[in-house]
Amino acid sequence: MKVALFVPCYVDQFYPQVGIASLQLLEKLGVKAEFPAAQTCCGQPLANSGCEKDALPIYRHYVDTFSDYDYVVAPSGSCVYHVRKHFDKLEQTPEVQQVRTSAYDLIDFITTVLGVTEIPGTFPHRVGLHLSCHGQRGLHQANESEMTPVRDGQLRRLLGSLNGIELTELDRNDECCGFGGTFCVSEAAISARMGQDRVADHVRNGTTVLTGGDMSCLMHLEGIVRRRQLPMRVLHAAEILNGTLS
Amino acid sequence: MNHATRAAKFVGDADRTTWHDETLWFVRAKRDKAVYAVPEFQDLRELASQIKDHTLSKLDTYLEQFEEQAKRNGVHVHWAADAAEHNAIILDIIRKHNATRVVKSKSMLTEECHLNPHLLSNGIEVVDTDLGERIIQLRDEAPSHLVLPAIHLKKEDVGETFFQHLGTAKGEIDPQVLTEAARQHLRARFLAAEVAISGVNFAVAETGGVVVCTNEGNADLGVNLAHVHIAAMGIEKLIPRLSDLAVFTRLLARSATGQPVTTYTSHYTKPAAGKEMHIVIVDNGRTKQLGRPDFRASLKCIRCGACMNTCPVYRRSGGHSYDFTVPGPIGAILSPNIDMKKHSSLPFASTLCGSCSDVCPVKIDIHTQLYKWRQVLGEANEIPASKKWSMKLMGRLLTSPKVFGVSGKLARQGIKYLPYSLTHARHFNVWAVARELPTPPKQSFREWYQQQAKNPA
Amino acid sequence: MSSSREKILAAARANKPDEKPLPTVPDFGGDDSTERFTQVLTSIGGQVVWIDGPEQLQPVLKQLYPESRLSASPLFSGTVPVDALTSTEVLADVDLAVLPGEIGVAENGCIWLPEANMLHRALPTITQHLVLVLDHRRIVATMHQAYAQLPSTGGYGAFIAGPSKTADIEQSLVIGAHGARSLVVLLY
Repeated sequence: MKVALFVPCYVDQFYPQVGIASLQLLEKLGVKAEFPAAQTCCGQPLANSGCEKDALPIYRHYVDTFSDYDYVVAPSGSCVYHVRKHFDKLEQTPEVQQVRTSAYDLIDFITTVLGVTEIPGTFPHRVGLHLSCHGQRGLHQANESEMTPVRDGQLRRLLGSLNGIELTELDRNDECCGFGGTFCVSEAAISARMGQDRVADHVRNGTTVLTGGDMSCLMHLEGIVRRRQLPMRVLHAAEILNGTLS
Repeated sequence: MNHATRAAKFVGDADRTTWHDETLWFVRAKRDKAVYAVPEFQDLRELASQIKDHTLSKLDTYLEQFEEQAKRNGVHVHWAADAAEHNAIILDIIRKHNATRVVKSKSMLTEECHLNPHLLSNGIEVVDTDLGERIIQLRDEAPSHLVLPAIHLKKEDVGETFFQHLGTAKGEIDPQVLTEAARQHLRARFLAAEVAISGVNFAVAETGGVVVCTNEGNADLGVNLAHVHIAAMGIEKLIPRLSDLAVFTRLLARSATGQPVTTYTSHYTKPAAGKEMHIVIVDNGRTKQLGRPDFRASLKCIRCGACMNTCPVYRRSGGHSYDFTVPGPIGAILSPNIDMKKHSSLPFASTLCGSCSDVCPVKIDIHTQLYKWRQVLGEANEIPASKKWSMKLMGRLLTSPKVFGVSGKLARQGIKYLPYSLTHARHFNVWAVARELPTPPKQSFREWYQQQAKNPA
Repeated sequence: MSSSREKILAAARANKPDEKPLPTVPDFGGDDSTERFTQVLTSIGGQVVWIDGPEQLQPVLKQLYPESRLSASPLFSGTVPVDALTSTEVLADVDLAVLPGEIGVAENGCIWLPEANMLHRALPTITQHLVLVLDHRRIVATMHQAYAQLPSTGGYGAFIAGPSKTADIEQSLVIGAHGARSLVVLLY
């Protein structure tokens, strides 16, 4: 099994520890992932801004970089969703089809491809889970409150398997955090308010460690947590799982 | 002014935003409860979606069938290509009856066509009879929601309006008392009305009848007392069979307000003896939307408003921030079809979270259409030039791993070495108005990885 | 024929997608019990009262509406004779209308009331209070079964679910908007 790690640009620059944790976590689970140095981006920031045409060369570059791999794993469901859904704009060559099916969110990969359902380890904290919309509604990694009252999902199960962990229950289990890519600057006021409301839900329900599977949402939420100097740590789920797994 | 500017103004009142958000979330929560209670709800959504898809694929045939049946029922059928013709037809009918007193139940189509100003300027007194609509009519405002037109107002606002217009006591804010005052005030209008205008929720091709759903009973009271009934419908309101109504009535109210069904589901098929019934079939851009493969599914909309109640942006920006008859996510995909330039910011008023698509009872892929409208707007140069150029630059940068590595490093170092007052200045960096920038690490992942490769632990 | 008609039809013809199939809608079954009907109708502001049969109608009505002065009904001779030609002024004074319902729907508490049972089309909404009399054997589980049983919708007819209501002021539920202020269903 030939596996590549795709590290989104902002993770590369600002959250290298998340890339490192993803790599190490995969290794502990028996998968030696490579980091192809030529990788850049999935093109989503451009496409979401209405510049899909300008993103096409980026898509092609992504395909060139990753089409040789069986799986391309990223600690960000949003990028994965973009590759799977919006690379339909490219001519559907075997390479393009390959990267569209081989792209996996890290937690999805661990759960569905590796079949891992439990992580032995201890994390004695009150953990609040932020569901990323693209992971949840796009990649179906978690149940949706639009469909069912049952709160269930891949990450909830993995985290729930840790010893000593207490998952906080939010008033609104799966409301968007308001990051939204360029939305966070083009609609800065609404974006900030949405993030503040999400964070407030976690504060209200006792979260001390805020986590999730998508670093872009977490970057936004962390910015709010730090601005308000709240006693809350923000960690990507890979950091928690890697930290507890020996 | 674009959506972001209007939204920033709305969200500037933090307490009112909290109230607006929570009020609509409450409606969303009621919807959830009603949906969970119907085991086949997702099947019904799929059926409704397929019925609407089918109808749109034979729209011309069904329109003709509907017209033929309606005429057989003794109904006068009119066709309006646009808003102006719709307004002219209705004014003409009213004038033929020498009528001046008109009551109107809820119709987003007549809002879309700006019928009220047209009638008023021609000496016709037109009174909106839905309570929410009457409130905003007295205040001379536009509706801010499809099914809850006055949801932007607090009871204090309504109390003040009724004090001014209906003579209720100053400071009276009890919804029960205010509603009773409106009941008495409007009853006089109902009794005196010569013509009643209604919207149409569903038009049944096989019977030629129209169905109107209300909770207040205002459509029935108006239509059944007046001598003339005018029903205004968009061409997309059609469904093929009477039995299809079962699917849609099971979905509509549950999706809209969490009720199991609206209080009145009224079927108007033939005029009462000695009276007149008219149906005005309106296009106003709908056939154009039908011709856009990426966007035609928006015509499946049954105007339940669920996408608004669930939209985290709508709940915090208010319906008026969209500046379009239909606000919220569905409005953001309908409006560019009408005026791409004016409404160019609406498809960007979304995080593309996808909740709208998942509550939509007819499974319109709303968030995907938002994404696709962005591309259309980008191609048509209806996005800000600065954005366009920065994206072009970024496009080049992101295809060159070398330049990408260097510029990423520059950005990271920039945050590290530039003074906080500069990196977090609100004029240079909108991000930092409410958020801290990430703390720049010593090395990027890329640098760490390369170092590891050279010196494996 | 108007040119707009031709224009709209031509545009619809030109712009419509390839034909998609019309699905068959299954009967999803469901709970058609009077208990379910009663529970749902009560939750939406209606009231269910059992009577032994139509002959018990008037004593029960007297008990439920001791104040009623102007009633109209096809089931007994009310105090106001109403037919399709009754004037608005006369209708406006009716405080109680007692009408036979045709089909009850358990999932949502609504009752089918066809024009033929209304005396006047405006009566069910203009009356202050509405009573619908229903044979409990005519209760079905869902709207699918209700529509399947409708021979036609006639000239006019309505499914009525509870009293007139609104929540247009701050989402506060108020019973008695423009139509009947209360709805009682007499089941036999």
